Amino acid sequence: MIEIKNLSVTYRRMTSDGRELRAEAVKNVSLSVEKGRFYALAGESGSGKTTVLMAIPGLLPRGTEAEGRILLEGADLLSMKEEELNKIRWRRAALVPQGAMNSFTPVLTVGRHVEEVLSVHLGLPKKEAEGRIASLFSMAGLEGELARRYPHELSGGQKQRAAIALALACDPDYLLCDEPTTALDVITQQGIINTLKKLVDEKGLGLLLISHDLPLAASVASRLYIMKDGRLVEEGPPREIVASPQNPHTKALVGALLDLEEDS
Amino acid sequence: MKGYWARRTGSALLILGLVLVLNFMLFRMMPGDPVASIIDPNFSPEAKARLSQVYGLDKPLPVQFWRYVKSTLSFDFGISFLTGRPVMEELRSRLPNTVTLLGTSLLLSALLGTWLGMKAALRRGSFLEKCILWSGAVSFSFPSFFVQLTLLMAFAAALPVFPLRGTLSVPPPAGGMALLADYLWHMALPVFSLALLGFGGWALYVRNLMVKILGEDFILLARARGLPQRNIVMGHAFRTLLPTLLTIFLLSLPGIVSGAVITETVFSLHGVGRFLLEAVTGHDYPAAGASFFLLALLTVSCNLLSDLLYGVTDPRVRMERGGRR
Amino acid sequence: MKALLNRWSFWCLLAIILLALFGAGLFDGPPEREVASAFSKPLWLDRTLPPGMELRLGQSAPAAELDWNHGAPAGFSVKISGGESNPDRYVRWTTPDGKSFNLSPLRRGAEVDGRDISFKRSLGLPPFGDAAAALFPAKGAYRAEITGEGDWEGEVVIRMEGGRWGLLGTDQRGRDIAALFVAGIRVSLLVGIFATLIATFLGATLGLAAGYLGGWVDAVIMRGVDLLLSIPLLPILMALAALWGKGLWQLILILSVFSWMGSARTIRALTLSLRDAQYIEDLRGIGAPSGYILRRHLLPETLPVLLASMTLGVPGAILSEAWLSFLGLSDPRVISWGRMLHEAQSFGAFTAGAWWMLLPPGLGIALLCLVFLDLGKYLEERIDPRLRGGTAP
Repeated sequence: MIEIKNLSVTYRRMTSDGRELRAEAVKNVSLSVEKGRFYALAGESGSGKTTVLMAIPGLLPRGTEAEGRILLEGADLLSMKEEELNKIRWRRAALVPQGAMNSFTPVLTVGRHVEEVLSVHLGLPKKEAEGRIASLFSMAGLEGELARRYPHELSGGQKQRAAIALALACDPDYLLCDEPTTALDVITQQGIINTLKKLVDEKGLGLLLISHDLPLAASVASRLYIMKDGRLVEEGPPREIVASPQNPHTKALVGALLDLEEDS
Repeated sequence: MKGYWARRTGSALLILGLVLVLNFMLFRMMPGDPVASIIDPNFSPEAKARLSQVYGLDKPLPVQFWRYVKSTLSFDFGISFLTGRPVMEELRSRLPNTVTLLGTSLLLSALLGTWLGMKAALRRGSFLEKCILWSGAVSFSFPSFFVQLTLLMAFAAALPVFPLRGTLSVPPPAGGMALLADYLWHMALPVFSLALLGFGGWALYVRNLMVKILGEDFILLARARGLPQRNIVMGHAFRTLLPTLLTIFLLSLPGIVSGAVITETVFSLHGVGRFLLEAVTGHDYPAAGASFFLLALLTVSCNLLSDLLYGVTDPRVRMERGGRR
Repeated sequence: MKALLNRWSFWCLLAIILLALFGAGLFDGPPEREVASAFSKPLWLDRTLPPGMELRLGQSAPAAELDWNHGAPAGFSVKISGGESNPDRYVRWTTPDGKSFNLSPLRRGAEVDGRDISFKRSLGLPPFGDAAAALFPAKGAYRAEITGEGDWEGEVVIRMEGGRWGLLGTDQRGRDIAALFVAGIRVSLLVGIFATLIATFLGATLGLAAGYLGGWVDAVIMRGVDLLLSIPLLPILMALAALWGKGLWQLILILSVFSWMGSARTIRALTLSLRDAQYIEDLRGIGAPSGYILRRHLLPETLPVLLASMTLGVPGAILSEAWLSFLGLSDPRVISWGRMLHEAQSFGAFTAGAWWMLLPPGLGIALLCLVFLDLGKYLEERIDPRLRGGTAP
């Protein structure tokens, strides 16, 4: 289980004339992710949801202050050194980045990315890696031969699926997905969400989905968190939240959602 | 793909042709009678006319141009007005010195600069980074010849560790090893000074590129994958940087000819750069024309080669280049 | 603009400009004047060497005292100018041990040098004797005076050549390096500023045209930029300087013709991004002519960028001028810092160990370049606050 307890994150930046700029992005957030369940963290952009996600594998920018605790099966990730974190990253918790992100090294083939991870974390030689890459790609719904392509030679949807294949490489317990469906067309979006859902149901992964798309988040997650201005303003099963939102911000969001449903 | 290369080669040839025409015109319009500059003004008119004939200066311009193109393309650049020996022979005796000077110093400064630039980018805010940011501005502001003159003053005049001038001692020492040692002793300060002048710019350049790349999403994601630092820096960041670096390296080759002119003048080396300077100031048309043609050839082939290499090292270009540029 | 007053480079540039304008007044006589013996060290260096000195005698001051605390000077000369010749009057030299010499009768235009055999003979010395040593036998108070019968209007200059002179010493011809240094500022500033001014004007015009008009105009201009950027600059400049002449204005023109590419690229990119901006399209929509849009809207928008790129371009021009002058491709009559370095190298500053010939012009060039770099950086930051930087602590 990943437990985030009272997490507060403050970004710091030095200006050239020596002043320090501070921005508190996350304020006292607590949430947890269990294996075999689908979680969604929704909120508008700038609400701090990506900061929460990046804090889990310790990927906040250097010099950022993070208080509170992030426990992975009881071990505090926030206090870990880089070398210890490197043993957890990808093997225990892997990241599925936003498809529009420049997430693959442009001069390496997609397959090479998977191969590297397999060799670093599992010590798999190149020969064995090839077979595994093929099965990973088919798990993510991609043809195996796409592994020989360079990132720029893939379409947005293919890149997103390749990112999922890469995330699954070391059999992680948790998947952290940062807006995996943004900038994709609706059909591709649905396909990717279905793939993720299948992974949770069949492989028992714990999945945290970050999205600004509340209807999408509410439709797939078994537990929904909503953030606003760095604070967690709502949490619970999506059905309950939609039925009786507590926070005025959520009310407005849900209201818009209901209007949409009535229209259709 | 084929069309792209055809176009690149075509424009390279066009530039070479242009240089030929310019060369021909430029040096025939230069002030100062070339014949007067090689012979005594008291020569008889007949003797002058005969010399003009030897150099082909009495023929009409189109004929002169045709002969010029034909001989230049076969690397026959004629007889130098100043030394009276074939230009090609003069160049051949000087080229090894220049290649040694430029090759060693460029390699040294590029390697050292790349290494330091990477280190600086990885340690933002460190003393090393500040030094490199500073050394970039300094190497951009201090005239190269001033730095070299100062080094010469310090390590050849005040502390006579290195020789003041020349490529070899006069008379040169006997014996292969002694000769080599003497040569290295003479080349040490020029090479070292050129490398010193170059590495700051390289380091700054690599540092800036590296800082930009280290801020990219794919580096953050490489970290997220728990890869060791060495993999991230070399396998991802540097690998992405490499095509750009190779291109810059090749494109900087013609430019360092300027460095050769200056360095060989400061250290009185027997090289192509100083030959070029003497040819230009001494109205030595054949020598200057040959130098400029070779310089253009170097520039054009480096441009072509850098395009080729970029295509090989950067997969993004292989496809896009087909239609663009 | 207040931030500008806090920049060291602003005050430095101001001081340099003032020195260029009024610095000549600090020295009597033109910088070409030979003031002391060749390769004299700066005054503040090596105090055991006698400094170069002059005594001036005239009608108002017929006598002068001199406290001499060194060995004999390297040279000694007496020069008489103005006034009618009066052979009855002469210059008398009294040494601390009470001996006195008749240096020279007051003949109009007479010049007496310590090396002249006739002068040595008049002092009673053998032809190979050292006149300076005879005239300076000891440390102490010396006295020079005009004595004899009758009136005389004129001036006597007695010069003792030492190994030290002035703030920065002298060069191979005995000219004052400090005066040459001040005179050299002018060339660097003129070339640096005017070459970039013209280059920026050229670049802005071509960049605006390429960006705004597009099509084949753009293609031709940008191909030209690529071509000019790929050829090595120095050899071309060398050829053109040798071909076209070595004058200052020719040099400025040559330099600007080969350095407009950077600003053309910048301005083209900026114009392209502005061209499609809504208000420009609106203007075009209501039928504003291209010339009007270019002049009244695109140019003012691009002006600050131009100013910054111009300031950053100045060091390049200054360095190019220095290169050419150093290679001897500049007008030998014009004093410039590059020329000073050329002469230092060609006329044996090394064998004389005269490092003071090297450092002032070299450091002058570097300082001026750093000043413009810093000013350019300041301007860039004003235009684009993102450049002000900031790093993670």
